[in-house]
Amino acid sequence: MSTDAAEGGVPDREVGPIGRLSTTVGRGAVTALIAVVAVFLVAPILLAVVASFAGDWTGILPTEFGTLENWRHVLGLSEAAGAQRALGTWSLSIPGTALVVNVPFASLFFSLVVALGGVLVNLAVGVPIAYAVTRYDFRGSDLLNTVAVLPLVPGIILGIAFLRTYPNIPTGIALLIGYSLLKVPYMVLAVQSSFESMDLRQLEESARSLGASWPRTFLAVIVPNAKRGILSGSIICWTLAAAEFNFTYMVYSRNPRPFSIFLYNNITNSSILQTAAAVSLYFLIVAGVTAALQSLGQRGFSIGGAR
Amino acid sequence: MSTLDGSGPLARLRGGTARLVSPRTEADRERRRIAALTLPFLGLAVIGAFVPLAYMFRMSVSESRFGIAGVQLDSYVALFESIAAFVPVLGDGVAADPVYGEVIWNSLWFGALTTVVSVAVGIAIAHGLEKYRLPRKGLLVTLISFPISLPGIVVAFMIQIWFSQTGVLTNVFAALSGAEPLDLALTGQPPETTLAILGLFLGYLYSMIPRATFLLRGSYAEVNEDAEAAARALGATPWQTFRYVTLPQIRPGVVGALILTFRTALAIFGTVLVLKALSVVTFRFQYEISNGYDLPMASALAGLFFVFTLLFTFLGLRYTSAEVAG
Repeated sequence: MSTDAAEGGVPDREVGPIGRLSTTVGRGAVTALIAVVAVFLVAPILLAVVASFAGDWTGILPTEFGTLENWRHVLGLSEAAGAQRALGTWSLSIPGTALVVNVPFASLFFSLVVALGGVLVNLAVGVPIAYAVTRYDFRGSDLLNTVAVLPLVPGIILGIAFLRTYPNIPTGIALLIGYSLLKVPYMVLAVQSSFESMDLRQLEESARSLGASWPRTFLAVIVPNAKRGILSGSIICWTLAAAEFNFTYMVYSRNPRPFSIFLYNNITNSSILQTAAAVSLYFLIVAGVTAALQSLGQRGFSIGGAR
Repeated sequence: MSTLDGSGPLARLRGGTARLVSPRTEADRERRRIAALTLPFLGLAVIGAFVPLAYMFRMSVSESRFGIAGVQLDSYVALFESIAAFVPVLGDGVAADPVYGEVIWNSLWFGALTTVVSVAVGIAIAHGLEKYRLPRKGLLVTLISFPISLPGIVVAFMIQIWFSQTGVLTNVFAALSGAEPLDLALTGQPPETTLAILGLFLGYLYSMIPRATFLLRGSYAEVNEDAEAAARALGATPWQTFRYVTLPQIRPGVVGALILTFRTALAIFGTVLVLKALSVVTFRFQYEISNGYDLPMASALAGLFFVFTLLFTFLGLRYTSAEVAG
């Protein structure tokens, strides 16, 4: 292992102690590391789900299983102490009438609706930009690509800047714009990976030679062919936006309370078992989403490497 | 400035815009398509990011703590004085409170340390996933990617499940060593203690290892396996093969992963807010807002942070061998 080998020379023929060690234990050590990391990452998720059905967790593992009390607390089905940390109810008055609709599970419902709005913006913004930088070569396309797949600003800074710039904007709209901006890289990456597996030039030229206008080519030929990427991008953006915390924490002021703030209030104030139920609610959503992604040929959230 | 002859940049811009609206050649039409495709994104970026950021820089020089009024540079002066006061030898002559220098230093060293560890572990995981015959590999990839979906506050709770006073590993270690769980817990400790920082360190790794791994998997997918097989056949050990054949091929990916993972580390907020182990820039920013509402100071800090990450990312990606394989 002499240093000149690193500069292009030939490595020593003598393997040395590191070489011998790596031959015997290298593969085992790497495999063990993967196992340790997988357990470190996944075990607390499983433990939280299991503990959400437990009545006590004072020893190493939770005990007294079979209770739904923690879930009743976070879903707002029981009136006991700590009810202000439940999902809550959202009273919507219908404009023009005296009607008031009470939406149950308000925090979750509100965040899912706002995040869905963010996904619609992401689609309108992310699909065209992904196509532009994949299909065309123009001045600044590399820079634009970098800007599109890297979030420009951390959520917490964007949050306060946004709040001060547009002080009178309703919380829901502010969150929607923030979510769409913060999550657009995931949409661009997902759609881009679909575009890259297609012969875009040939597709475009075939459609054009058959008489389709360029807008029609884009909307009726290119976009449907990238369906998988668009769908998995939408699912990922929706899930991530629904639980976005940093931007939300800075912008949120009035009810309805966003889902991530509900999680935060539980994590900082509730018992470990009730918190376990609260985060398990999100884990169940992510598990469902992961299954949906799997059916689209996408391995979970693995596209989220870049952030 | 007042004369607008036909060849000035303004006239060219006007001519370009006119051709964009009513194109004459195919090249013009392509340019119009590119403009139409990029416009929605640019619009969102301007409304959502550029205008608020410009406003934030304006706030950082405002004389009022609550709105825009007048111009002062006090917050930047205070910020840079504080940074100077923190520098070991030089700082002795500066009377300022080194608190901002300290939070910036905390962000940098803690971010760098967690980045290096995460990328090193990420290389090993990506290597194993690509080269070894592991059982249920697809499931393993899905499981390792799961934490990417978790917000920082939930990551903090995961660390509490392992290492709080009632945490699983805390109690296992307590049972093995006979010590009190309170003395072994890594969360709920006073800030800046070794145990608390170790807990936060593991929280950062929880967020960053999956991201580093999937950044590196892209590079591993492009490695030339014939060269590796040749090296092995010629008698190189697995370590030599990795060191002299695999690593040179993935090096641009590793540099790219280091840059992006460091960015991630600098932007982490929720985990720090819950675990409260170390005052980093994002945490201090929140503190400036919620205690005393010192907007000019918070904006100056945020402005410096933003300029630093921007320069760091673009110069890093531009002037190193970095490559980001999404």
